[in-house]
Amino acid sequence: MTGIVIEGVTRTFGTVRAVDGVNLTVGEGEFFTLLGPSGCGKTTLLRMIAGFCELDEGQIRFGTKRIDTLPAHTRDIGMVFQNYAVFPNLTVAGNVAYGLKARKVTAAEVARRVEEALSLVQLGGYGERWPHQLSGGQLQRVAIARALVIRPQVLLFDEPLSNLDARLRVSMRAEIRELQKSLGITAIYVTHDQEEAMSVSDRIALMQSGRLEQVGAPAEIYRQPASRFAAEFMGTTNLLEPKALGLSGAGRVSLRPEALRLDAEAPAGWPRLSGTVAHVEILGPITRFDVRLADGSVIRVASLDEPHRTLATGAQVTLAYDPARVTVLA
Amino acid sequence: MTLTIPHQQRLPLAIAALGFLFLGLFLLYPLFNVFGASVLDGDGEKFTFANYVKILGRPFYRGAVANTLMIGVAATITTIVISVPFAFALARLPVPGKAAIVALAAMPLVLPSFVSAYAIVLLLGRAGVVTQWLNSWGIGFGSIYGAGGIVLVYTLTLYPYVLLPTMAGFKAVDVSIEEAAQSLGSSPRRTLWTVTLPIVVPSILAGGLLVFIETLENFGVPFVLAEDMPIFAVEAFKLFVGETAPNPSSAGVLGVLLILMTSLVLLIQRRFLANRRFATGARSAPPILKVGPGLRIAATVYCWSVVLLALVPFFAIVVLSFMEFRGPVLHPNFSTANFTALFERSTRPLLNTLMFATLAAIGVTLIGVPIAYVVTRLRSGLAAVLDVIATLPFAVAGTVLAIGFVVSFNSGWLILTGGPFIMVLAYTVRKIPFAVRSSSGILHQIDPSLEEASISLGRSPLQTFARILVPLMLGGIMSGFVLTWVTIASELSATVVLYSGQWRTLTVVMFQALEGGGGGIATAAASTLIVVTLVPIALLYRLIRRYELAA
Repeated sequence: MTGIVIEGVTRTFGTVRAVDGVNLTVGEGEFFTLLGPSGCGKTTLLRMIAGFCELDEGQIRFGTKRIDTLPAHTRDIGMVFQNYAVFPNLTVAGNVAYGLKARKVTAAEVARRVEEALSLVQLGGYGERWPHQLSGGQLQRVAIARALVIRPQVLLFDEPLSNLDARLRVSMRAEIRELQKSLGITAIYVTHDQEEAMSVSDRIALMQSGRLEQVGAPAEIYRQPASRFAAEFMGTTNLLEPKALGLSGAGRVSLRPEALRLDAEAPAGWPRLSGTVAHVEILGPITRFDVRLADGSVIRVASLDEPHRTLATGAQVTLAYDPARVTVLA
Repeated sequence: MTLTIPHQQRLPLAIAALGFLFLGLFLLYPLFNVFGASVLDGDGEKFTFANYVKILGRPFYRGAVANTLMIGVAATITTIVISVPFAFALARLPVPGKAAIVALAAMPLVLPSFVSAYAIVLLLGRAGVVTQWLNSWGIGFGSIYGAGGIVLVYTLTLYPYVLLPTMAGFKAVDVSIEEAAQSLGSSPRRTLWTVTLPIVVPSILAGGLLVFIETLENFGVPFVLAEDMPIFAVEAFKLFVGETAPNPSSAGVLGVLLILMTSLVLLIQRRFLANRRFATGARSAPPILKVGPGLRIAATVYCWSVVLLALVPFFAIVVLSFMEFRGPVLHPNFSTANFTALFERSTRPLLNTLMFATLAAIGVTLIGVPIAYVVTRLRSGLAAVLDVIATLPFAVAGTVLAIGFVVSFNSGWLILTGGPFIMVLAYTVRKIPFAVRSSSGILHQIDPSLEEASISLGRSPLQTFARILVPLMLGGIMSGFVLTWVTIASELSATVVLYSGQWRTLTVVMFQALEGGGGGIATAAASTLIVVTLVPIALLYRLIRRYELAA
């Protein structure tokens, strides 16, 4: 169990600065997520920690021990890959035992820990199966057991759920989070899916073009995005000129769709806006609709389903918004 | 840290360094010496282009260039004409026994082509069995010596080079593309000509170029069939053997010209074909077409005829080897005298063949697989250079490489001539491109994250190579080993230059028997060679089948 310190880490591929002067400190036992669009440098940063990618500048430490100069196989890391990377020439037990054998653990101890790790990921009794007999979800469990069983200092997840179907993704991410917390191993998790990131993480580092855009707890980044990019990447939002809301100042403000309500459903103290309904989508639990304001700008609204509400395209409506949820962007 | 080489690149770089060392010493250095020989005078002292002027000034050698190219083009055309309908029938028509046809069609690739040529002589030559039988009925036909016979043998032995990739090409055509054409109003026949065939053309041409290069480099077939017609690889050999000056300048000139021709063809292939792959991403093979009984019977007869016709010469050799020969003349009596004569003198040639093939196949595997690893895994210009150099032997005729070996290792600090290792090394170098190609094909299908997973679990890159990659590649490595072994066992063009004294192989025995007119020993050596070739292939098939059944 160790914290991770990343200091001034930079890597250039040709003319592209894949990772550009990143500084981060990940606490002991923390579940930390690198989030961002493809090409933002999150995978490169993860592979630097794992030892599969060289640093041009900077250093990485586990606790006080510098590890970026060590060969990958001596770093004591458990890594879970996007495509599982389960060895097809070994059984499930053989896969899980692989790292233990590399560490010269005795045979009896290997057998005991393999079975323990398999039951931890709910694959008890699957040891003799071959990888080609398992489903995608089971393969990913094998990969997780294989990474956990060596009791690594650090767990690394490289988009581990993106090859699974949507339903399995949701249940697996909860499981991963639970395992990590119960074992208390520091984890770094890479994903491009903001919902996944928010559901599993203690803290998130949002990345763009090799730089850290914002670091913070999931709700903090969602509610107080530091930039237009952060506001938009973390979820649907309205980016408005301040004067559209009757505010002064330059730049843009962000107002999430759920911070807006219809006049009749809103507290009295909220400011009002009026416009015409341009588009309505009833998605089940949530109704989304667009309202065109007098100045021509379109504002997106999301509210919980309400059986007695009727919204028709072209209707005149008055909206109210929560002034506390207006974020002024730099 | 004293080394600034990143950890994960140390293993590939170390392998690359060893690869460059080996190929530099046993490929580039001999080739450089061939080039050197061609631009130095007879005593090897003065720089001159006079050798080129001398050789190219003679109509005989200009004729050799023209003949070689003409035969190559003709054989390429005939193989394509025969193979494309064949491939289409296998991929899309209801032909019974397809698995057997494909297995039999691959056989000529591993059987020695000069044996086929010799069989053609025994059957259709002046004193041939079929010729005499036809003559007794008063029927005659043109001579099979010269260009016609050579093209015939090339067609029968090289057609799989076009057939196999073309068949794969036809199978890779996504059926929805044909359906799209037909929904746009194109008839099935027009769709075939305007959609399906153009997609397959790159595969056809790639196979055709392989045929062309094979014909340029082939020594055995023209040696048996050309008679007075000058052919490049044969003339290079004759010049080299006949040259008395210390510097083999004339042979060097022919060698350089031959390398230039094959390299040019390879360059054309890289330049024009490499980017013309029409991958259509077929999820499953296109359906077998519904055709009338007439076409179905015609296709079946055609496929089986081609496959069997190509194997008739080999079958004939085995039969003829059990007949009585008096000198070159055949008598239709059963006899094992040929084999007695072959092995009574010595079993050394057979043992040499087995030993050289085994040693060289081990060498090819030990060098080719790691080079393939570097070529597929190391992203650097160095890997690309290594790839090109490791492909180079493909463009070098065996005769030319062997001449380079003799010139390079005849004196100085490393003397190999006269011993067995010069042959083993020459075979190893010749077959490395095939090992690199087939191994990198397998490696491309192995996800690099498997290696990263192993390394992150605590295995060093070298241990990862041995524990993960080698087991995953094992099936492919073994098939490659057997195919390499088999083709080395029947190698002729480098062997005839390099063999000496007690290190004769079966191919040399056959070669000498042909020169001396000892038909009996030649057929016995040829059928022994066929057995030596087929037994490992049969074992490999069985092993693969058992492996597939177990999995």
